[in-house]
Amino acid sequence: MSRSYDRALTVFSPDGHLFQVEYALEAVRKGTCAVGVRGKDVVVLGVEKKSILQLQDPRTVRKVVMLDDHVCLAFAGLTADGRVLIDKARIECQSHRLTVEDPVTVEYITRHIAGIQQRYTQSGGVRPFGISTLIVGFDPHDSTPRLYQTEPSGIYSAWKANAIGRSSKTVREFLEKNHRDDLSREESIKLTIKSLLEVVQTGAKNIEISVMESYGKVTNLELSEIEAIVSEIEREKEAEAERKRSRLAATAAGQAAMTQRAEES
Amino acid sequence: MNTFLERYSSTNAVSQLKRAQRLAEEEDEFTDSAWGSQAGYGQLMNGPPSFTVPNVPDPSSFLRLHTDDHADPNCRIKIQHGTTTLAFRFQGGVIVAVDSRATAGSYIASGTVKKVIEINPYLLGTMAGGAADCQYWETYLGMHCRLHELRNRERISVSAASKYLSNLVYSYKGMGLSMGTMICGWDKTGPAIFYVDSDGTRLKGDLFSVGSGSTFAYGVLDQGYRWDLTDAEAQELGRRSIYAAGHRDAFSGNTCNLYHVKENGWEFIANYDISKLHYDGPGDVAGSPGHGYGYGIRVQGRSSANPPEATAAA
Amino acid sequence: METSFAITGKGYVLMAADTTAARSIVKMKTDEDKIKTLSPHLLMAYSGEPGDTVQFAEYVERNIRLYQIRNVYALRPAAAASWIRRSLAESLRSRKPYSVNLLLGGYDTSSYNPQLFWIDYLGTMTEVPFAAHGYGAYFALSLLDRYHDPSASLEEGLDTLRRCIDEVSKRLVVTPGKYKVKIVDKDGVREIEL
Repeated sequence: MSRSYDRALTVFSPDGHLFQVEYALEAVRKGTCAVGVRGKDVVVLGVEKKSILQLQDPRTVRKVVMLDDHVCLAFAGLTADGRVLIDKARIECQSHRLTVEDPVTVEYITRHIAGIQQRYTQSGGVRPFGISTLIVGFDPHDSTPRLYQTEPSGIYSAWKANAIGRSSKTVREFLEKNHRDDLSREESIKLTIKSLLEVVQTGAKNIEISVMESYGKVTNLELSEIEAIVSEIEREKEAEAERKRSRLAATAAGQAAMTQRAEES
Repeated sequence: MNTFLERYSSTNAVSQLKRAQRLAEEEDEFTDSAWGSQAGYGQLMNGPPSFTVPNVPDPSSFLRLHTDDHADPNCRIKIQHGTTTLAFRFQGGVIVAVDSRATAGSYIASGTVKKVIEINPYLLGTMAGGAADCQYWETYLGMHCRLHELRNRERISVSAASKYLSNLVYSYKGMGLSMGTMICGWDKTGPAIFYVDSDGTRLKGDLFSVGSGSTFAYGVLDQGYRWDLTDAEAQELGRRSIYAAGHRDAFSGNTCNLYHVKENGWEFIANYDISKLHYDGPGDVAGSPGHGYGYGIRVQGRSSANPPEATAAA
Repeated sequence: METSFAITGKGYVLMAADTTAARSIVKMKTDEDKIKTLSPHLLMAYSGEPGDTVQFAEYVERNIRLYQIRNVYALRPAAAASWIRRSLAESLRSRKPYSVNLLLGGYDTSSYNPQLFWIDYLGTMTEVPFAAHGYGAYFALSLLDRYHDPSASLEEGLDTLRRCIDEVSKRLVVTPGKYKVKIVDKDGVREIEL
C-alpha cells in the first residue's frame, strides 16, 4: 500500500508520515553510537569508533569534528551525509563571524544545521540527511556548557545528556539513571565512557572522547587515558560483583546455618 | 536638487572645484593603472608624486567616487555638507550631539531637522550627508535589528548593527549613496560607537565627529575630552562642541539636540538654541557654566592691554 | 598617507603599518590596526581604497580560517599568497574590483623559512626580501637596498625598520603618526613596541 509514498520524494502518506524521514531515522539507528554529557562546567562527547582495518589510516576516519574554535559536533548515521552537513556548518560559522563580528552561539549553529536538515525534507529532488548530530560547546562570553541534538526531520533540542545512533535507547536510559547536574570533569568523562560501554563491547580502543572545558579549550583523550578509565570502571564493576557474590554467599551461609540449626533442634 | 544647489552656492567654490578638476586631469598622464602601485618596482620612473591634487593615491578616481557625476555632469563634490554631528564614549555611556540646520547651498532650508535617528531604544544613528539616505537606511537597519532580536532572543550588538549597515552601503558603493553616520549604543560589551560611511569605511572608536563643521567641533571636543568625565561634564562638552561648530561653520547651526546613551537605553536630554547658547548659555542644566559660550561673554572685562604702571596709576 | 613596510631577517618577517584612518583632511582614528593575523604563522598588511581594504581583508581572513578548520593544517605562506593573489586577480576582472594593496609575511614551519610577498591591486605578486606600499616606498626602498640584511638578528631588523620610519617622518610632507609593528617567526605572531 505505502509503496507509492516511500520513493524518491518526501511526500506525506495518508496517515501523516514522511516515510523518507523515518527511513533516515532508521539509518541513524544503524549508525555508530555517540554520547554527549553536560557536567557542571564541562561538556563531553564520546563516540563509538568502528574498528579500523589493518591497512587503513585511522586519521582519515573522524566522527567528532570541530565546527569552530568553540563548537564540536558528533554524528551518527551516514558518514558521507555528515561530511556535507559539517562543511555547510563550518562555512556558516565563518560567515557569521564575518557578518556579525561575533562567533556563533551553540544554539545558533544548531538551529542553522537543523534548518538545513528540515529544508532537505521539503524540497524536490533531494533526500533527507541520514544523520543525527550532537553539538556541544560554549557560547562566547559565557561559561555554561551547551549540548544540543538535531535529527533528520529538522528537530533540534537541548539536553543535559543524550545518546544517538545504535542502541541509543539503552544508553539514554543509563544516562537518565546516572546523570547529575554537578558532574565534575572526571565524573563526566567517566559517565560518558561508562554509558558507551553499555553498547561497545570491545572496550577502549573503540571509544573516542573529546572534552570541552571552556570557550575554545578542547582536548581529545589519548587511548591510554581512555584505557585507564575503562579498566577503572571494570575494576569497580568487578568489586561490585565481588561484593554482591560475598553478600549472596553470606546470606546463603546464614540460611544454611539456620536450616542446620532447625534440623538439629 | 543639484542644479538648485549650484545656483545658490558661491561661485568661488565652483571655480576652486574646476581648478581641482583640471589638476586631476593633468594627473591623468600617469595613467590610471599606475596608482596604488607606487611601489611597483617598474613604476618609480614617474618620479616622486606631487601633492597639488587631493592626497590620495589616485586623485581622478577619488574625485569620481566623491562626485555625483551621474546626477550632475558638472561633477560637484559631494562632501558631507551642511552638518555637524558628534558622538563620544566616556565612563558614563555615550553622548550624541548634533545641530539642526539643513542647507541647500547658501540657503537654509530648515532649522529644525532631527539629525539623530532613533533606531531602537538602545541604538542611535546620526545623520550627515544625504538626509534621505540616512533616514531610509537607518530605519531599515532598525527593522533588521528587531528581526535579529526576534530570531536570536537577544539584542543585536552595536558592532553587528553597524556592520550590517556598512555591508549594506558597501553593496551600493559607487552608486551615489552619501552617508556619514555614527551608530551609537550600549550592548553586552558596554557603550560603543562605530563610524560608518558610504565608502564602506567602518571604524570603532571613542570619539567621532562628522560633517562640514566637524573640524570646529573636534577643536573643542578633543581638548575637553577625558574618559572619566562626569555625566554633567560630558553633556556640557557635547553642547559646547556643537555650539562651536554652529558658531564657526556657516552650514551648521540653529539648535543643538543632545542625547545620552546609558545602560538602559538612550535618553533625550534637550534641545538648545545655539544663539541662546552664545549669549546666555544653556540655562539651568547640569554642567552649565552659568553664562554664555560666546567669546565676548567669556572674556568680558579682561584685556590684553599692558600699559606701563605709571600710566596705569595716573 | 597610508604607508606599510615589511622586511625579512634571520627566521622572521617584520611588518609595520601606519595606524591612521583619514577622511579628507581629518584623521578619524589614530589607532587602527591594518595588519591582520590570518593564521598562526601568517600576517597581512593592507592598504588602498577605504571600504575595500577591510572588506577584502576580512574575506581573506575568514577563508584562510575556514581552510584550517576543514583541513586541520593551515595553508603555507606561498599557498596562501597564491590564493589571495588569485582572489584579487578575479576581482579585478569583475564589475567592481577591490582596490587593495597587500604585504603578506609568513613563516613556513615546514621549511623553516620566513617568506614575504608583495601584492598589488592588479594582482601582481612577487616574493621579496623587503617591501613597501604607499608613499613611504619612495623613501624606504632605496634605504632598504642599502641597509637590508637577510641574516639580521631581530634587534638589527628593528633598527632597519626604525630607519625606514624615521626617514619617512623626516621627508614625507604628510607623515603618518604612529605605526603598528608585528613580527612572525617560528613562535607565531606577536606585536612589537618600537
